[in-house]
Amino acid sequence: MGGVAAGGRGAVARWAVVAALVGALVALPSLIGALPAADEPVGAVELRAAVLASADVGFSGYAESAGGLALPVTEQLGSVADLFSDRTTMRVWWRGPADNRVDVVTAGGETGIRRDATGTWTWEYERATATRAVLGPLALPAPPDLLPSALGRRLLSEATEREVTRIGARRVAGRNALGLRLVPGQPASSVSHVDVWVDGGTGLPLQVQLFADAADRAAMDTRFLDLDLGTPAAATTAFAPPPGARVRSAQEAEVLLEAGRRIRTVPFPAQLAGLPRRTLQGVPPGIGLYGRGVTLLTVAPLPRRLASGLRTTLAQAPGAVVDGSSVRVAAGPVGLMVVDVPGQGPYVLTGTVTVDALATAAAEVPDLRPAP
Amino acid sequence: MILVELRKTFRRPRTWATIAVLNALPVLVAVLLVLTDLAPRPGEGPPFLSAVLSNGTLYPLAALAIVLPLFLPIAVAVVAGDAIAGEAQAGTLRYLLARPAGRTRLLVAKLVAVLAFVLVTVLVVAAVGYVIGTTLFEAQPVAGGTSVSGTSLTPEEVAWRTLLAIGYVAVSMLGVAAFALFFSTLTDSPLGATMGALAVLVASSLLFTLDAASPLAPYLPTRYWLSFVDLFREPILWRDVTRGLALQGVYVGALLSAAWASFTTKDITS
Repeated sequence: MGGVAAGGRGAVARWAVVAALVGALVALPSLIGALPAADEPVGAVELRAAVLASADVGFSGYAESAGGLALPVTEQLGSVADLFSDRTTMRVWWRGPADNRVDVVTAGGETGIRRDATGTWTWEYERATATRAVLGPLALPAPPDLLPSALGRRLLSEATEREVTRIGARRVAGRNALGLRLVPGQPASSVSHVDVWVDGGTGLPLQVQLFADAADRAAMDTRFLDLDLGTPAAATTAFAPPPGARVRSAQEAEVLLEAGRRIRTVPFPAQLAGLPRRTLQGVPPGIGLYGRGVTLLTVAPLPRRLASGLRTTLAQAPGAVVDGSSVRVAAGPVGLMVVDVPGQGPYVLTGTVTVDALATAAAEVPDLRPAP
Repeated sequence: MILVELRKTFRRPRTWATIAVLNALPVLVAVLLVLTDLAPRPGEGPPFLSAVLSNGTLYPLAALAIVLPLFLPIAVAVVAGDAIAGEAQAGTLRYLLARPAGRTRLLVAKLVAVLAFVLVTVLVVAAVGYVIGTTLFEAQPVAGGTSVSGTSLTPEEVAWRTLLAIGYVAVSMLGVAAFALFFSTLTDSPLGATMGALAVLVASSLLFTLDAASPLAPYLPTRYWLSFVDLFREPILWRDVTRGLALQGVYVGALLSAAWASFTTKDITS
């Protein structure tokens, strides 16, 4: 065929131009990502103190948390389980602990939680519903608890000076972040370490990674992707239900308190699996709380109808240990155990402790000792 | 030459038939909604569809959201895939190039015609959506609307955010057009070029749903398509919108230069 032909040397030159252009565009993100982080000579104890003092630092930002915790729980706690297993994207405006707004952003909607002095407004676009909740002593985990700033402060709040060390620096959300590693001192702990990456100037945690025993991938990783320091406008965090929205008040706290009142009070020892007992305001006396910092253990009697469902779910989870009347399983750093001693009623033990520690603890609760 | 190509594109009955078919689905959905009064629950179905029963001015957005995942890309891929390969298949390409205009100018003319088609298509879908929305549904010209974040929006805010969203969807479609145009310079079969572009989009949508592919996600051409919803948050979440625009810019730039390199150096045999 005759056709209209083009020269060979021109072809090479033209494709070279295209290749160079594409190469430059592809390399750009990794070049920006490779910007070095500058470390600062700040001690671990000093850095931890800066983190704990950062609750009043105003900022607005965009954060993403990715949980690898597939909690084997029943449907009642589905929203809590999703929080720890899914990728959650959040926009946040923080004026202070009692005045902030966290929007969980999804592709086609969002759920916004606005905190004020007396409670929270939760706006669900998907349901066109605004829910008012009054502050109570007890609350289930919610998306704002997953913010690196909130989670970092919480996890470091009960750490001792000997548990924290410095681990260099990295760049998070385009800022210099100083590393702080928390290695829990309790042998029962299922958490091997927690890395908190802290903004040097403000003490704000920018990224928190929680590692389970024998895991090189974080079981929980939450970080800011964008962060602007500076207190956001009050109008941004304020909320009034829009016209046409359904307005209701939250029942969750009531349900929790009611459940707490129904729990029968049982005697708990002062120590379980080497962890000392602790008290927390608002927790019903029928629930035993043990441990400190990132190593926590909860023991509570369980209504029988709840127990059988939970038992079945746990027994089906991968790696579950069924041992006579008890089932125990580890989901990342979270251990769960249901014990049903005939004549005593079922108990649940859960927390960030190893499965072996759960078994030890179960054997130490007087009610749960197998009858001789 | 640009004018010639534009005239050619918009004088073809096929172009208008494509646009008409594209509008059929949103019209059908609107009629069904009015007849049954059954809007999908918010958060289910295409974005904004649940809100149109109470505010018809949002229907242009719902219409775009309905055609965005599949119909709109198909229409754009068909027209852009036809640009060069169609001439080659019809045997007219060599005559076009016999004019002293040159290949680069022909490519630019084809490109402009495709861009014009994308813009006109998106605008027609939005306009038809507006007409249907305001005639079939209850319009709320005074009350404005509610943002995704639960704040009130004035009618002016709804209007200019809708315009931004229309522009954003048009830019998102440019990436599809660039893929199809590039493939169109590689092959003599317009069907092959169209299918190539659609295969890229299907692969991209599939990888986006896969957690294991999340490191690739920011580079997928369809990754930020739905981000026009972010324009209706309060304050507007610009992060994904700007990323979407930049990503489409990179794809369009890279693919068009590849199309140029391919077209200006290939042997025209038909």
